[in-house]
Amino acid sequence: MKRFLETGNFAVTEGAIMAGCRLFAGYPITPATEIAEAMSVELPKVGGYYVQAEDECAAMHIAVGAAAGGMKTMTATSGPGFILYADPYGWAIGCEIPIVVLNSQRVGPVSGITGAPGQGEFYNSRYPTQGGNYETIVLAPNSAQEAMELTVEAFYLSERFRTPVTVLADQLITDGLEDISVPETDEEKTAMGMRFVERKVNAGPDFYPPSDAIDIPPVVLGKGTGAMCSDWTPTEEGYDIETVEAHHKHSYRMIYKIRNNRDVITRYEELFLDDDPELIVVAYGTPSRTVKTAVKKAREKGVKVGMIRPVSLWPFPDEAFTRKAIYLTVELLYDGQMVREVQRATPCDSPVHFFGKCGELPTVTELHETFDKLLRGEPLGRIGWEREAW
Amino acid sequence: MDKLSEKYLRARKIPSTACSGCGLGQAHKAFVQAIDELNFGIDDILWGTSIGCSGRQTFGTWKGDNFAGTHGRVYAIARGLRLAIAPEMKIVLTVGDGDAFGIGLNHLLHAARTNTQMTVLVCDNLGYQSTGGQYGWTTPPGVKTDSSPYGMYEPNWVQSGRDVLNIIQAAGATFLARHVSMEGRPLVDTLKKALQNNGFSLVHCVFPCITNFAKNALGSRNSVNMFNWVRNHAAPLGQEAGGREIFWRTGIYHDASNTRAEFSQSVKEKTAEIQREVSG
Ligand code: SF4
Repeated sequence: MKRFLETGNFAVTEGAIMAGCRLFAGYPITPATEIAEAMSVELPKVGGYYVQAEDECAAMHIAVGAAAGGMKTMTATSGPGFILYADPYGWAIGCEIPIVVLNSQRVGPVSGITGAPGQGEFYNSRYPTQGGNYETIVLAPNSAQEAMELTVEAFYLSERFRTPVTVLADQLITDGLEDISVPETDEEKTAMGMRFVERKVNAGPDFYPPSDAIDIPPVVLGKGTGAMCSDWTPTEEGYDIETVEAHHKHSYRMIYKIRNNRDVITRYEELFLDDDPELIVVAYGTPSRTVKTAVKKAREKGVKVGMIRPVSLWPFPDEAFTRKAIYLTVELLYDGQMVREVQRATPCDSPVHFFGKCGELPTVTELHETFDKLLRGEPLGRIGWEREAW
Repeated sequence: MDKLSEKYLRARKIPSTACSGCGLGQAHKAFVQAIDELNFGIDDILWGTSIGCSGRQTFGTWKGDNFAGTHGRVYAIARGLRLAIAPEMKIVLTVGDGDAFGIGLNHLLHAARTNTQMTVLVCDNLGYQSTGGQYGWTTPPGVKTDSSPYGMYEPNWVQSGRDVLNIIQAAGATFLARHVSMEGRPLVDTLKKALQNNGFSLVHCVFPCITNFAKNALGSRNSVNMFNWVRNHAAPLGQEAGGREIFWRTGIYHDASNTRAEFSQSVKEKTAEIQREVSG
């Protein structure tokens, strides 16, 4: 095991290379640029390629192109770039090409605040492209260490499900310096729960079997298999076709290979839920760390509060939200996005509240005040804004 | 199905779904002819296309590996593919004028800058015909289309001393040419040269759209008129004089074949050098 005091960017690069990534295409953007820089240093050392593209749209197209040619590939960006991935993201979903995408979220919309963490792409990561008829896989780390481990997992899932997988991080994870343990032996990797799978080649003639099965090798171009992939609705052999029946088969596969195999993907962390707490706090990514501290400290004072941290955001871990309680989501944005999913997943007689901060983490004191108000049955108000001078 | 089609194209896809009488078939056939004359087999070519008439009608026709990319982005996809597939396998792309000279121009210029091996055949039907007939970036001046009902009055990419091929040359392309689709033999010979360049090659080929363009610009879908109209507005480079209004100067514009390192080759060489340094 190697140990480093390094950034999440470094951790992601280590994880990707460990998982077999041999091409990274990117476009500089704060706060994901350092991933590109780290890749430009590390990839050539293992025989891999770093390509700096003319824009984000090209970056993901280059990465997807190389993935279609049989390589394990990755790209990384932040919100303003992630939206420009919409086009190639759709191509990769439709052509069922495995690839890993990292989004280090910052404050938006648009350019917003470049060097501050946000969580504005919760829904955008679920619907990263147009047209519907698909499901997505999104994993959200809350530390540099986990960013490395989930990058490995993202490569694993992308191969098995032959689909792009997004690692939804934030600025604090990718930029923050932390203690990182990098496994070196297979035993160490297994002990960390890391899973690996090689790229396989679909030899056809059916490149798109009409089924929800996973572990079907993806289309790989350039192997002389007569492979076909396109942005149009495909037949089983890959020909373009304009029938609703064919599209039904295509969408069935894209939706249900993920929905029907949720157990391979879904993960979440629970804390203090065994004694049916009155209040359950929900957070993902970096704010979940402050929430965890606040929940632990509240427990020490005898407050019956628990916590759920979704690690797989999509599919959303509905199974974690069966308890009747008061729910509170804590997110790094003012509009509240995950709060709606929690509302949907929780029992209908459980009230769901929202606490938003933007560009900075909530403090433990703020969270304790919020817990107390909720447990006293008082309305929350827009706390983040009430404290502004204006 | 002729012998060439039988050898290289998928029976299920031929004839293609292009309107009957469309000139796209001439360009497509010339490409297959060039491939045959160079003795390439099915496994030597990875055929990419984009959307619009040129992409849709040529997708999946090649018996070997095929892909169709998003509009204007196939040059970026091809750059990624180029790094992943065997260096001896050629990437060929049949795209439209909107794809190459509009939405995809920036990506195309970067493919040219890096001299990535791909042979791009821009099948130019003079506008956006699969969406019904709007003007494009090579629509000749004065021509009426569904979105230029008063005649094309925006400057285009091939007239008035301005030529998109010059821009692509300045970007670094190593082979550039232009033809109209009825120039059968010269087009095949040019495509052979393009395919022999281990770098970025682009051949711009104007073909008659007898459905939308002919109806809007010439007032009739008569294919003979449309074919003659294209032929009459083209002349080989250096022979433009003679009273006719020339829209397309045809022939080889720039041939610097195999004079610059190819993208994937130089990336791979540099990577190997770095690996040697770090391990040595
Ligand atoms: S619309 Fe025009 S260019 Fe398109 S297939 Fe028909 S004739 Fe050809």
